[in-house]
Amino acid sequence: MGIAVRAVESIGSKTLRALRATGPNARFVGDVLASGRDARTWLGQTMTQMRRLGVDSLPIAAFIALFTGIVLALLASYSFTGAVPLYFVGTLVEKTVTLELAPVLTGLALAGRVGANIAAELGTMRVTEQVDALETLGYDPVSFLVLPRVVAGVAMFPVVVGAAMLVAMVAGGTTSVLLLHLSSPEFLKGVRLFFQVFDVEYGLVKSASFGAAVTLAGSACGLRAGGGAVGVGRAATSTVVYSAICILVLDALWAVTWLLGREAAP
Amino acid sequence: MRRNNDALVGAVVVIVVVALVAAIAWVKQSDLGGTQRDVIAHFRDVGNTRVGNAVVIRGVVGGRIDAIELAPDGWVDVRMKLDPAARLPSEPVVLLSESSLFGDWQATIVERRSLPSDAALREAIDDASHDGRALPGASLPGIGKLTAVAGQIAGDVASVASRVGTAFDDSAARELRTSIRDVSELSSTLRRVARDHASDLDTLSGQLRVAVAALQRASRSVETTSGRIDSATNSDEARRLVQNFAASADELRHAGAQVRDLAERLRTTQARRSPPTCAPTRRSTSRCGSSDLRESRTRIRTFADACRGAHS
Repeated sequence: MGIAVRAVESIGSKTLRALRATGPNARFVGDVLASGRDARTWLGQTMTQMRRLGVDSLPIAAFIALFTGIVLALLASYSFTGAVPLYFVGTLVEKTVTLELAPVLTGLALAGRVGANIAAELGTMRVTEQVDALETLGYDPVSFLVLPRVVAGVAMFPVVVGAAMLVAMVAGGTTSVLLLHLSSPEFLKGVRLFFQVFDVEYGLVKSASFGAAVTLAGSACGLRAGGGAVGVGRAATSTVVYSAICILVLDALWAVTWLLGREAAP
Repeated sequence: MRRNNDALVGAVVVIVVVALVAAIAWVKQSDLGGTQRDVIAHFRDVGNTRVGNAVVIRGVVGGRIDAIELAPDGWVDVRMKLDPAARLPSEPVVLLSESSLFGDWQATIVERRSLPSDAALREAIDDASHDGRALPGASLPGIGKLTAVAGQIAGDVASVASRVGTAFDDSAARELRTSIRDVSELSSTLRRVARDHASDLDTLSGQLRVAVAALQRASRSVETTSGRIDSATNSDEARRLVQNFAASADELRHAGAQVRDLAERLRTTQARRSPPTCAPTRRSTSRCGSSDLRESRTRIRTFADACRGAHS
Protein backbone atom coordinates (compact mmCIF):
# COMPACT_ATOMS: atom_id res chain seq x y z
CA MET A 1 0.00 0.00 0.00
CA GLY A 2 2.78 2.39 1.03
CA ILE A 3 4.79 1.57 -2.11
CA ALA A 4 1.80 2.26 -4.34
CA VAL A 5 1.19 5.61 -2.66
CA ARG A 6 4.84 6.54 -3.04
CA ALA A 7 4.76 5.58 -6.76
CA VAL A 8 1.69 7.74 -7.32
CA GLU A 9 3.33 10.62 -5.45
CA SER A 10 6.46 10.25 -7.59
CA ILE A 11 4.44 10.38 -10.81
CA GLY A 12 2.55 13.41 -9.52
CA SER A 13 5.70 15.31 -8.53
CA LYS A 14 7.34 14.64 -11.90
CA THR A 15 4.22 15.76 -13.72
CA LEU A 16 4.07 18.94 -11.71
CA ARG A 17 7.77 19.61 -12.32
CA ALA A 18 7.26 19.15 -16.05
CA LEU A 19 4.24 21.44 -15.99
CA ARG A 20 6.18 23.97 -13.92
CA ALA A 21 8.92 23.95 -16.58
CA THR A 22 6.35 24.53 -19.27
CA GLY A 23 5.48 27.93 -17.93
CA PRO A 24 9.02 29.42 -17.97
CA ASN A 25 9.70 27.82 -21.34
CA ALA A 26 6.53 29.25 -22.82
CA ARG A 27 7.36 32.61 -21.27
CA PHE A 28 10.86 32.40 -22.76
CA VAL A 29 9.43 31.69 -26.23
CA GLY A 30 7.06 34.58 -25.75
CA ASP A 31 9.98 36.87 -24.79
CA VAL A 32 11.88 35.79 -27.92
CA LEU A 33 8.91 36.58 -30.12
CA ALA A 34 8.38 39.90 -28.34
CA SER A 35 12.00 40.89 -28.79
CA GLY A 36 11.55 40.71 -32.53
CA ARG A 37 10.36 44.30 -32.39
CA ASP A 38 13.90 45.42 -31.49
CA ALA A 39 15.21 44.72 -34.97
CA ARG A 40 18.22 47.03 -34.68
CA THR A 41 19.58 44.93 -31.86
CA TRP A 42 19.17 41.42 -33.30
CA LEU A 43 19.46 42.09 -37.03
CA GLY A 44 23.13 43.02 -36.79
CA GLN A 45 24.01 39.79 -35.06
CA THR A 46 21.98 37.55 -37.30
CA MET A 47 24.36 37.27 -40.22
CA THR A 48 27.21 36.29 -37.93
CA GLN A 49 25.05 33.62 -36.37
CA MET A 50 23.91 32.45 -39.79
CA ARG A 51 27.48 31.84 -40.76
CA ARG A 52 28.35 30.13 -37.51
CA LEU A 53 25.22 28.01 -37.32
CA GLY A 54 24.68 27.42 -41.01
CA VAL A 55 27.69 27.82 -43.21
CA ASP A 56 30.08 26.32 -40.70
CA SER A 57 27.76 23.34 -40.32
CA LEU A 58 27.76 22.48 -44.00
CA PRO A 59 30.77 20.12 -43.88
CA ILE A 60 29.31 17.95 -41.14
CA ALA A 61 25.91 17.94 -42.84
CA ALA A 62 27.47 17.04 -46.19
CA PHE A 63 29.52 14.29 -44.58
CA ILE A 64 26.43 12.75 -42.98
CA ALA A 65 24.43 13.10 -46.21
CA LEU A 66 27.18 11.53 -48.29
CA PHE A 67 27.22 8.34 -46.30
CA THR A 68 23.47 8.35 -45.87
CA GLY A 69 23.03 8.39 -49.65
CA ILE A 70 25.55 5.59 -50.16
CA VAL A 71 24.04 3.37 -47.49
CA LEU A 72 20.49 4.04 -48.65
CA ALA A 73 21.26 3.00 -52.21
CA LEU A 74 22.93 -0.18 -51.04
CA LEU A 75 20.10 -0.96 -48.61
CA ALA A 76 17.51 -0.38 -51.29
CA SER A 77 19.27 -2.63 -53.76
CA TYR A 78 19.65 -5.29 -51.06
CA SER A 79 15.93 -5.10 -50.31
CA PHE A 80 14.73 -4.95 -53.92
CA THR A 81 16.94 -7.58 -55.54
CA GLY A 82 14.82 -10.15 -57.34
CA ALA A 83 11.51 -8.65 -56.31
CA VAL A 84 11.33 -5.03 -57.45
CA PRO A 85 12.99 -3.35 -60.46
CA LEU A 86 16.30 -1.84 -59.47
CA TYR A 87 15.39 1.63 -60.67
CA PHE A 88 13.23 1.87 -57.55
CA VAL A 89 16.52 2.49 -55.74
CA GLY A 90 16.20 6.04 -57.02
CA THR A 91 12.66 6.29 -55.75
CA LEU A 92 13.59 5.05 -52.31
CA VAL A 93 16.66 7.26 -52.05
CA GLU A 94 14.71 10.33 -53.15
CA LYS A 95 11.73 9.77 -50.88
CA THR A 96 13.76 8.77 -47.84
CA VAL A 97 16.32 11.52 -48.15
CA THR A 98 13.97 14.39 -48.86
CA LEU A 99 11.18 13.43 -46.51
CA GLU A 100 13.04 12.06 -43.53
CA LEU A 101 16.72 11.37 -43.37
CA ALA A 102 18.20 14.64 -44.53
CA PRO A 103 16.10 16.78 -42.15
CA VAL A 104 16.26 14.47 -39.14
CA LEU A 105 19.87 13.33 -39.35
CA THR A 106 21.09 16.83 -40.11
CA GLY A 107 18.89 18.19 -37.33
CA LEU A 108 20.30 15.70 -34.83
CA ALA A 109 23.85 16.48 -35.92
CA LEU A 110 23.24 20.19 -35.62
CA ALA A 111 21.57 19.66 -32.26
CA GLY A 112 24.92 18.39 -31.01
CA ARG A 113 27.00 20.92 -32.80
CA VAL A 114 24.87 24.08 -32.79
CA GLY A 115 22.71 23.48 -29.72
CA ALA A 116 25.61 22.55 -27.48
CA ASN A 117 27.60 25.47 -28.85
CA ILE A 118 24.81 27.95 -28.08
CA ALA A 119 24.24 26.49 -24.60
CA ALA A 120 27.94 26.55 -23.77
CA GLU A 121 28.39 30.10 -25.08
CA LEU A 122 25.35 31.58 -23.36
CA GLY A 123 25.95 29.50 -20.21
CA THR A 124 29.49 30.83 -19.97
CA MET A 125 28.20 34.36 -20.47
CA ARG A 126 25.67 33.73 -17.76
CA VAL A 127 28.13 32.29 -15.20
CA THR A 128 30.68 34.99 -15.99
CA GLU A 129 27.95 37.61 -15.59
CA GLN A 130 28.34 38.95 -19.12
CA VAL A 131 24.60 38.65 -19.55
CA ASP A 132 24.12 40.78 -16.45
CA ALA A 133 26.56 43.28 -17.92
CA LEU A 134 24.49 43.45 -21.11
CA GLU A 135 21.40 44.10 -19.10
CA THR A 136 23.25 46.77 -17.21
CA LEU A 137 24.23 48.36 -20.50
CA GLY A 138 20.59 48.47 -21.51
CA TYR A 139 20.63 45.57 -23.97
CA ASP A 140 17.90 43.02 -23.90
CA PRO A 141 19.84 39.73 -23.65
CA VAL A 142 17.03 37.86 -25.41
CA SER A 143 17.01 40.30 -28.27
CA PHE A 144 20.81 40.56 -28.43
CA LEU A 145 21.79 36.94 -27.79
CA VAL A 146 18.83 34.64 -28.41
CA LEU A 147 16.81 36.04 -31.30
CA PRO A 148 19.73 36.27 -33.79
CA ARG A 149 20.53 32.62 -33.11
CA VAL A 150 16.90 31.55 -33.46
CA VAL A 151 16.48 33.48 -36.69
CA ALA A 152 19.78 32.10 -37.99
CA GLY A 153 18.72 28.60 -37.04
CA VAL A 154 15.32 28.91 -38.72
CA ALA A 155 16.88 30.42 -41.83
CA MET A 156 19.97 28.27 -42.17
CA PHE A 157 18.75 24.84 -41.15
CA PRO A 158 16.74 24.51 -44.39
CA VAL A 159 19.76 25.63 -46.38
CA VAL A 160 21.98 23.10 -44.71
CA VAL A 161 19.31 20.40 -45.09
CA GLY A 162 18.77 21.34 -48.74
CA ALA A 163 22.49 20.97 -49.37
CA ALA A 164 22.38 17.65 -47.53
CA MET A 165 19.53 16.50 -49.79
CA LEU A 166 21.53 17.29 -52.90
CA VAL A 167 24.64 15.60 -51.58
CA ALA A 168 22.70 12.50 -50.52
CA MET A 169 20.97 12.23 -53.90
CA VAL A 170 24.21 12.59 -55.77
CA ALA A 171 25.86 10.06 -53.47
CA GLY A 172 22.95 7.65 -53.94
CA GLY A 173 23.05 8.05 -57.72
CA THR A 174 26.80 7.62 -57.88
CA THR A 175 26.63 4.54 -55.71
CA SER A 176 23.88 3.08 -57.91
CA VAL A 177 25.90 3.65 -61.04
CA LEU A 178 29.24 2.54 -59.70
CA LEU A 179 28.33 -0.28 -57.35
CA LEU A 180 24.89 -1.47 -58.43
CA HIS A 181 25.52 -1.27 -62.19
CA LEU A 182 22.38 0.82 -62.57
CA SER A 183 22.50 3.34 -65.38
CA SER A 184 22.03 6.96 -64.45
CA PRO A 185 18.85 7.28 -66.63
CA GLU A 186 17.38 4.35 -64.74
CA PHE A 187 18.23 5.91 -61.40
CA LEU A 188 16.75 9.17 -62.61
CA LYS A 189 13.65 7.33 -63.80
CA GLY A 190 13.21 5.96 -60.30
CA VAL A 191 13.71 9.41 -58.80
CA ARG A 192 11.18 10.94 -61.18
CA LEU A 193 8.63 8.18 -60.79
CA PHE A 194 7.13 9.44 -57.54
CA PHE A 195 8.89 12.76 -57.11
CA GLN A 196 6.85 15.66 -55.85
CA VAL A 197 7.99 19.18 -55.05
CA PHE A 198 6.07 18.68 -51.85
CA ASP A 199 8.72 16.22 -50.71
CA VAL A 200 11.34 18.95 -50.72
CA GLU A 201 8.98 21.51 -49.22
CA TYR A 202 8.07 19.16 -46.43
CA GLY A 203 11.72 18.44 -45.61
CA LEU A 204 12.70 22.10 -45.65
CA VAL A 205 9.79 23.30 -43.52
CA LYS A 206 10.45 20.50 -41.08
CA SER A 207 14.11 21.42 -40.86
CA ALA A 208 13.21 25.07 -40.19
CA SER A 209 11.15 23.93 -37.21
CA PHE A 210 14.08 21.81 -36.07
CA GLY A 211 16.33 24.87 -36.29
CA ALA A 212 13.96 26.84 -34.13
CA ALA A 213 13.74 24.02 -31.58
CA VAL A 214 17.50 23.49 -31.35
CA THR A 215 18.37 27.18 -31.00
CA LEU A 216 15.58 27.83 -28.51
CA ALA A 217 16.59 24.83 -26.39
CA GLY A 218 20.25 25.84 -26.49
CA SER A 219 19.49 29.45 -25.61
CA ALA A 220 17.12 28.53 -22.79
CA CYS A 221 19.46 26.02 -21.21
CA GLY A 222 22.43 28.36 -21.63
CA LEU A 223 20.75 31.37 -20.08
CA ARG A 224 19.59 29.25 -17.11
CA ALA A 225 23.02 27.80 -16.52
CA GLY A 226 24.57 28.31 -13.13
CA GLY A 227 27.26 26.88 -10.92
CA GLY A 228 30.34 27.51 -13.02
CA ALA A 229 31.83 25.15 -15.56
CA VAL A 230 29.83 22.23 -14.26
CA GLY A 231 26.61 24.13 -14.82
CA VAL A 232 27.71 25.08 -18.32
CA GLY A 233 28.51 21.48 -19.12
CA ARG A 234 25.17 20.34 -17.74
CA ALA A 235 23.42 23.01 -19.83
CA ALA A 236 25.18 21.77 -22.97
CA THR A 237 24.20 18.19 -22.23
CA SER A 238 20.60 19.14 -21.50
CA THR A 239 20.47 21.10 -24.72
CA VAL A 240 21.50 18.12 -26.82
CA VAL A 241 19.00 15.86 -25.05
CA TYR A 242 16.12 18.31 -25.28
CA SER A 243 16.95 19.19 -28.87
CA ALA A 244 16.94 15.54 -29.91
CA ILE A 245 13.62 15.00 -28.12
CA CYS A 246 12.15 18.10 -29.74
CA ILE A 247 13.35 17.03 -33.21
CA LEU A 248 11.80 13.58 -32.93
CA VAL A 249 8.54 14.89 -31.48
CA LEU A 250 8.29 17.58 -34.14
CA ASP A 251 9.07 15.01 -36.83
CA ALA A 252 6.16 12.89 -35.69
CA LEU A 253 3.97 15.96 -35.37
CA TRP A 254 4.69 17.08 -38.93
CA ALA A 255 4.07 13.59 -40.23
CA VAL A 256 0.71 13.39 -38.49
CA THR A 257 -0.44 16.87 -39.39
CA TRP A 258 0.93 17.20 -42.92
CA LEU A 259 1.60 13.78 -44.37
CA LEU A 260 -1.37 11.84 -43.06
CA GLY A 261 -4.07 11.47 -45.70
CA ARG A 262 -1.97 13.00 -48.43
CA GLU A 263 -1.52 11.10 -51.68
CA ALA A 264 1.97 9.81 -52.32
CA ALA A 265 1.84 9.77 -56.11
CA PRO A 266 1.70 13.00 -58.14
CA MET B 1 34.79 40.54 -41.02
CA ARG B 2 31.15 41.44 -41.18
CA ARG B 3 31.24 41.85 -44.97
CA ASN B 4 33.07 38.61 -45.19
CA ASN B 5 30.28 36.93 -43.23
CA ASP B 6 27.61 38.47 -45.38
CA ALA B 7 29.24 37.37 -48.60
CA LEU B 8 29.84 33.88 -47.41
CA VAL B 9 26.35 33.35 -46.05
CA GLY B 10 24.82 34.97 -49.10
CA ALA B 11 26.87 32.81 -51.43
CA VAL B 12 25.98 29.64 -49.60
CA VAL B 13 22.29 30.48 -49.51
CA VAL B 14 22.20 31.40 -53.17
CA ILE B 15 24.15 28.36 -54.26
CA VAL B 16 22.04 25.96 -52.24
CA VAL B 17 18.76 27.54 -53.30
CA VAL B 18 19.73 27.64 -56.96
CA ALA B 19 21.01 24.08 -56.84
CA LEU B 20 17.81 22.90 -55.19
CA VAL B 21 15.57 24.70 -57.66
CA ALA B 22 17.60 23.47 -60.59
CA ALA B 23 17.52 19.93 -59.29
CA ILE B 24 13.77 20.06 -58.80
CA ALA B 25 13.24 21.53 -62.26
CA TRP B 26 15.47 18.86 -63.75
CA VAL B 27 13.75 16.03 -61.96
CA LYS B 28 10.32 17.41 -62.81
CA GLN B 29 11.47 17.97 -66.40
CA SER B 30 10.09 21.47 -66.28
CA ASP B 31 9.80 23.35 -69.56
CA LEU B 32 11.86 26.38 -68.56
CA GLY B 33 12.38 27.79 -72.04
CA GLY B 34 8.82 27.13 -73.21
CA THR B 35 10.07 25.13 -76.18
CA GLN B 36 7.72 22.21 -75.74
CA ARG B 37 4.39 22.14 -77.55
CA ASP B 38 1.05 21.38 -76.04
CA VAL B 39 -1.23 18.62 -77.26
CA ILE B 40 -4.66 18.06 -75.77
CA ALA B 41 -6.44 14.74 -75.78
CA HIS B 42 -10.05 14.01 -75.00
CA PHE B 43 -11.07 11.13 -72.74
CA ARG B 44 -14.13 9.78 -71.03
CA ASP B 45 -12.01 8.37 -68.22
CA VAL B 46 -8.31 8.70 -67.52
CA GLY B 47 -7.96 5.76 -65.14
CA ASN B 48 -5.04 6.25 -62.78
CA THR B 49 -3.14 8.65 -65.03
CA ARG B 50 -1.44 11.48 -63.17
CA VAL B 51 0.36 14.68 -64.04
CA GLY B 52 3.97 13.86 -64.87
CA ASN B 53 3.30 10.48 -66.49
CA ALA B 54 5.22 9.77 -69.66
CA VAL B 55 3.88 10.30 -73.18
CA VAL B 56 5.19 7.58 -75.46
CA ILE B 57 5.39 7.82 -79.25
CA ARG B 58 6.47 4.68 -81.07
CA GLY B 59 7.92 3.32 -77.83
CA VAL B 60 10.00 6.41 -77.06
CA VAL B 61 9.20 8.84 -74.29
CA GLY B 62 8.41 12.04 -76.13
CA GLY B 63 6.88 14.16 -73.42
CA ARG B 64 4.98 14.38 -70.15
CA ILE B 65 1.41 14.85 -69.09
CA ASP B 66 1.19 18.44 -67.96
CA ALA B 67 -2.38 18.77 -66.75
CA ILE B 68 -5.59 16.80 -66.36
CA GLU B 69 -8.77 18.83 -66.34
CA LEU B 70 -12.46 18.05 -66.23
CA ALA B 71 -14.26 19.19 -69.40
CA PRO B 72 -17.98 19.73 -70.06
CA ASP B 73 -20.37 16.89 -70.97
CA GLY B 74 -18.50 14.27 -68.97
CA TRP B 75 -15.17 14.56 -70.76
CA VAL B 76 -11.67 14.82 -69.37
CA ASP B 77 -9.00 16.87 -71.13
CA VAL B 78 -5.40 15.76 -70.77
CA ARG B 79 -2.81 18.32 -71.76
CA MET B 80 0.53 16.85 -72.78
CA LYS B 81 3.81 18.64 -73.32
CA LEU B 82 5.70 17.07 -76.17
CA ASP B 83 9.31 17.52 -77.18
CA PRO B 84 9.67 19.78 -80.21
CA ALA B 85 11.36 16.99 -82.15
CA ALA B 86 8.55 14.53 -81.50
CA ARG B 87 6.47 14.07 -84.66
CA LEU B 88 2.93 12.75 -84.28
CA PRO B 89 1.68 9.95 -86.53
CA SER B 90 -1.08 10.61 -89.05
CA GLU B 91 -4.54 10.37 -87.50
CA PRO B 92 -3.14 10.20 -83.98
CA VAL B 93 -5.13 8.79 -81.08
CA VAL B 94 -4.06 8.58 -77.45
CA LEU B 95 -4.30 5.44 -75.34
CA LEU B 96 -3.87 5.55 -71.60
CA SER B 97 -2.57 2.34 -70.08
CA GLU B 98 -0.53 0.98 -67.24
CA SER B 99 3.17 0.99 -67.98
CA SER B 100 4.20 -1.31 -65.13
CA LEU B 101 2.82 -3.44 -62.35
CA PHE B 102 3.58 -0.69 -59.86
CA GLY B 103 0.72 1.59 -60.72
CA ASP B 104 2.38 4.12 -63.04
CA TRP B 105 0.47 4.89 -66.23
CA GLN B 106 1.51 6.32 -69.56
CA ALA B 107 -0.12 7.93 -72.55
CA THR B 108 0.72 6.31 -75.86
CA ILE B 109 0.12 8.18 -79.10
CA VAL B 110 -0.58 5.75 -81.94
CA GLU B 111 -2.07 5.78 -85.39
CA ARG B 112 -5.81 5.18 -85.51
CA ARG B 113 -5.49 2.26 -87.92
CA SER B 114 -2.98 0.50 -85.67
CA LEU B 115 -5.42 0.38 -82.77
CA PRO B 116 -5.98 -3.03 -81.18
CA SER B 117 -8.97 -4.88 -82.61
CA ASP B 118 -11.16 -4.18 -79.62
CA ALA B 119 -14.66 -3.05 -80.52
CA ALA B 120 -15.20 -1.20 -77.24
CA LEU B 121 -11.90 0.63 -77.62
CA ARG B 122 -12.64 1.66 -81.19
CA GLU B 123 -16.10 2.79 -80.14
CA ALA B 124 -14.59 4.92 -77.36
CA ILE B 125 -12.11 6.45 -79.81
CA ASP B 126 -14.91 7.19 -82.29
CA ASP B 127 -16.95 8.68 -79.48
CA ALA B 128 -14.07 10.98 -78.51
CA SER B 129 -13.40 12.05 -82.09
CA HIS B 130 -16.14 14.68 -82.18
CA ASP B 131 -13.90 17.44 -80.86
CA GLY B 132 -11.64 18.66 -83.62
CA ARG B 133 -9.25 20.60 -81.40
CA ALA B 134 -8.24 17.62 -79.29
CA LEU B 135 -6.94 14.18 -80.07
CA PRO B 136 -9.38 11.35 -79.39
CA GLY B 137 -8.36 9.10 -76.55
CA ALA B 138 -9.40 6.09 -74.55
CA SER B 139 -8.06 4.34 -71.50
CA LEU B 140 -7.31 0.65 -71.50
CA PRO B 141 -8.41 -1.36 -68.48
CA GLY B 142 -5.75 -1.34 -65.81
CA ILE B 143 -4.31 -4.33 -64.10
CA GLY B 144 -6.41 -3.40 -61.10
CA LYS B 145 -9.58 -3.63 -63.15
CA LEU B 146 -8.49 -6.90 -64.71
CA THR B 147 -7.56 -8.20 -61.29
CA ALA B 148 -10.97 -7.13 -59.99
CA VAL B 149 -12.69 -9.06 -62.78
CA ALA B 150 -10.44 -12.03 -62.10
CA GLY B 151 -11.30 -11.71 -58.43
CA GLN B 152 -14.99 -11.68 -59.27
CA ILE B 153 -14.57 -14.82 -61.36
CA ALA B 154 -12.61 -16.43 -58.55
CA GLY B 155 -15.41 -15.47 -56.15
CA ASP B 156 -17.99 -17.08 -58.44
CA VAL B 157 -15.90 -20.23 -58.68
CA ALA B 158 -15.54 -20.26 -54.92
CA SER B 159 -19.29 -19.86 -54.56
CA VAL B 160 -19.92 -22.75 -56.95
CA ALA B 161 -17.33 -24.81 -55.12
CA SER B 162 -18.99 -24.04 -51.81
CA ARG B 163 -22.37 -25.06 -53.24
CA VAL B 164 -20.86 -28.28 -54.48
CA GLY B 165 -19.32 -28.70 -51.05
CA THR B 166 -22.73 -28.16 -49.45
CA ALA B 167 -24.39 -30.67 -51.78
CA PHE B 168 -21.57 -33.14 -51.60
CA ASP B 169 -21.52 -33.57 -47.84
CA ASP B 170 -20.21 -36.43 -45.73
CA SER B 171 -23.20 -38.67 -46.28
CA ALA B 172 -22.95 -38.16 -50.06
CA ALA B 173 -19.28 -39.00 -49.92
CA ARG B 174 -20.08 -42.07 -47.83
CA GLU B 175 -22.73 -43.16 -50.30
CA LEU B 176 -20.42 -42.59 -53.19
CA ARG B 177 -17.76 -44.62 -51.42
CA THR B 178 -20.29 -47.41 -50.80
CA SER B 179 -21.40 -47.28 -54.45
CA ILE B 180 -17.84 -47.51 -55.61
CA ARG B 181 -17.28 -50.46 -53.30
CA ASP B 182 -20.46 -52.12 -54.63
CA VAL B 183 -19.39 -51.55 -58.19
CA SER B 184 -16.04 -53.03 -57.33
CA GLU B 185 -17.66 -56.09 -55.78
CA LEU B 186 -20.01 -56.39 -58.76
CA SER B 187 -17.15 -56.25 -61.16
CA SER B 188 -15.22 -58.89 -59.21
CA THR B 189 -18.34 -61.11 -59.19
CA LEU B 190 -18.76 -60.61 -62.90
CA ARG B 191 -15.15 -61.50 -63.36
CA ARG B 192 -15.58 -64.67 -61.31
CA VAL B 193 -18.76 -65.65 -63.22
CA ALA B 194 -17.07 -65.00 -66.50
CA ARG B 195 -14.14 -67.12 -65.38
CA ASP B 196 -16.50 -69.97 -64.30
CA HIS B 197 -18.48 -69.77 -67.50
CA ALA B 198 -15.31 -69.80 -69.43
CA SER B 199 -14.30 -73.06 -67.70
CA ASP B 200 -17.82 -74.49 -68.34
CA LEU B 201 -17.53 -73.50 -71.93
CA ASP B 202 -14.12 -75.12 -72.02
CA THR B 203 -15.64 -78.34 -70.61
CA LEU B 204 -18.58 -78.12 -72.98
CA SER B 205 -16.38 -77.55 -75.94
CA GLY B 206 -14.21 -80.49 -74.79
CA GLN B 207 -17.25 -82.69 -74.49
CA LEU B 208 -18.46 -81.45 -77.82
CA ARG B 209 -15.12 -82.36 -79.28
CA VAL B 210 -15.44 -85.85 -77.76
CA ALA B 211 -19.02 -86.13 -79.10
CA VAL B 212 -17.91 -85.02 -82.51
CA ALA B 213 -15.14 -87.59 -82.39
CA ALA B 214 -17.68 -90.25 -81.34
CA LEU B 215 -19.97 -89.20 -84.16
CA GLN B 216 -17.08 -89.39 -86.54
CA ARG B 217 -16.34 -92.86 -85.29
CA ALA B 218 -20.08 -93.82 -85.56
CA SER B 219 -20.28 -92.39 -89.02
CA ARG B 220 -17.18 -94.32 -89.95
CA SER B 221 -18.73 -97.58 -88.61
CA VAL B 222 -22.02 -96.79 -90.35
CA GLU B 223 -20.04 -96.26 -93.45
CA THR B 224 -18.29 -99.56 -92.89
CA THR B 225 -21.61 -101.24 -92.14
CA SER B 226 -23.25 -99.72 -95.16
CA GLY B 227 -20.30 -100.84 -97.19
CA ARG B 228 -20.73 -104.29 -95.82
CA ILE B 229 -24.46 -104.12 -96.49
CA ASP B 230 -23.71 -103.03 -99.99
CA SER B 231 -21.30 -105.85 -100.41
CA ALA B 232 -23.80 -108.17 -98.78
CA THR B 233 -26.52 -106.99 -101.12
CA ASN B 234 -24.27 -107.43 -103.99
CA SER B 235 -23.58 -111.09 -102.97
CA ASP B 236 -27.36 -112.01 -102.40
CA GLU B 237 -26.75 -112.77 -98.75
CA ALA B 238 -29.68 -110.59 -97.72
CA ARG B 239 -32.03 -112.33 -100.14
CA ARG B 240 -30.87 -115.60 -98.90
CA LEU B 241 -31.38 -114.48 -95.37
CA VAL B 242 -34.93 -113.39 -96.15
CA GLN B 243 -35.57 -116.61 -97.94
CA ASN B 244 -34.25 -118.43 -94.92
CA PHE B 245 -36.56 -116.42 -92.72
CA ALA B 246 -39.51 -117.22 -95.02
CA ALA B 247 -38.64 -120.89 -95.03
CA SER B 248 -38.41 -120.82 -91.26
CA ALA B 249 -41.80 -119.14 -91.07
CA ASP B 250 -43.32 -121.80 -93.34
CA GLU B 251 -41.77 -124.42 -91.24
CA LEU B 252 -43.10 -122.81 -88.15
CA ARG B 253 -46.54 -122.50 -89.73
CA HIS B 254 -46.35 -126.11 -90.63
CA ALA B 255 -45.22 -126.99 -87.15
CA GLY B 256 -48.14 -124.97 -85.79
CA ALA B 257 -50.55 -126.89 -87.96
CA GLN B 258 -49.04 -130.08 -86.77
CA VAL B 259 -49.29 -128.93 -83.20
CA ARG B 260 -52.92 -128.05 -83.78
CA ASP B 261 -53.58 -131.37 -85.27
CA LEU B 262 -51.74 -132.95 -82.41
CA ALA B 263 -53.79 -131.01 -79.97
CA GLU B 264 -56.97 -132.13 -81.70
CA ARG B 265 -55.90 -135.69 -81.48
CA LEU B 266 -54.92 -135.24 -77.93
CA ARG B 267 -58.31 -133.89 -77.07
CA THR B 268 -60.02 -136.68 -78.80
CA THR B 269 -57.85 -139.19 -77.02
CA GLN B 270 -58.42 -137.54 -73.70
CA ALA B 271 -62.14 -137.46 -74.19
CA ARG B 272 -62.11 -141.14 -74.85
CA ARG B 273 -59.94 -142.33 -72.06
CA SER B 274 -60.91 -140.24 -69.02
CA PRO B 275 -64.47 -139.68 -67.62
CA PRO B 276 -65.68 -136.25 -67.46
CA THR B 277 -65.02 -134.60 -64.10
CA CYS B 278 -67.31 -131.76 -64.38
CA ALA B 279 -70.56 -133.31 -65.69
CA PRO B 280 -71.78 -136.69 -66.81
CA THR B 281 -73.46 -135.29 -69.82
CA ARG B 282 -72.01 -135.43 -73.24
CA ARG B 283 -72.46 -131.79 -73.59
CA SER B 284 -70.66 -130.98 -70.39
CA THR B 285 -67.96 -133.44 -71.25
CA SER B 286 -67.41 -131.82 -74.59
CA ARG B 287 -67.49 -128.45 -72.91
CA CYS B 288 -64.78 -129.36 -70.47
CA GLY B 289 -62.62 -130.79 -73.17
CA SER B 290 -63.10 -127.81 -75.40
CA SER B 291 -61.87 -125.42 -72.69
CA ASP B 292 -58.68 -127.36 -72.40
CA LEU B 293 -58.31 -127.25 -76.10
CA ARG B 294 -58.96 -123.56 -76.14
CA GLU B 295 -56.21 -123.03 -73.63
CA SER B 296 -53.88 -125.20 -75.71
CA ARG B 297 -54.80 -123.33 -78.81
CA THR B 298 -54.15 -120.02 -77.18
CA ARG B 299 -50.74 -121.20 -76.13
CA ILE B 300 -49.96 -122.46 -79.57
CA ARG B 301 -51.21 -119.23 -81.12
CA THR B 302 -49.02 -117.24 -78.78
CA PHE B 303 -46.14 -119.42 -79.74
CA ALA B 304 -46.96 -118.92 -83.43
CA ASP B 305 -47.18 -115.21 -83.01
CA ALA B 306 -43.86 -115.24 -81.28
CA CYS B 307 -42.43 -117.18 -84.19
CA ARG B 308 -43.96 -114.74 -86.63
CA GLY B 309 -42.54 -111.80 -84.71
CA ALA B 310 -39.19 -113.45 -84.72
CA HIS B 311 -39.54 -113.99 -88.42
CA SER B 312 -40.47 -110.44 -89.17
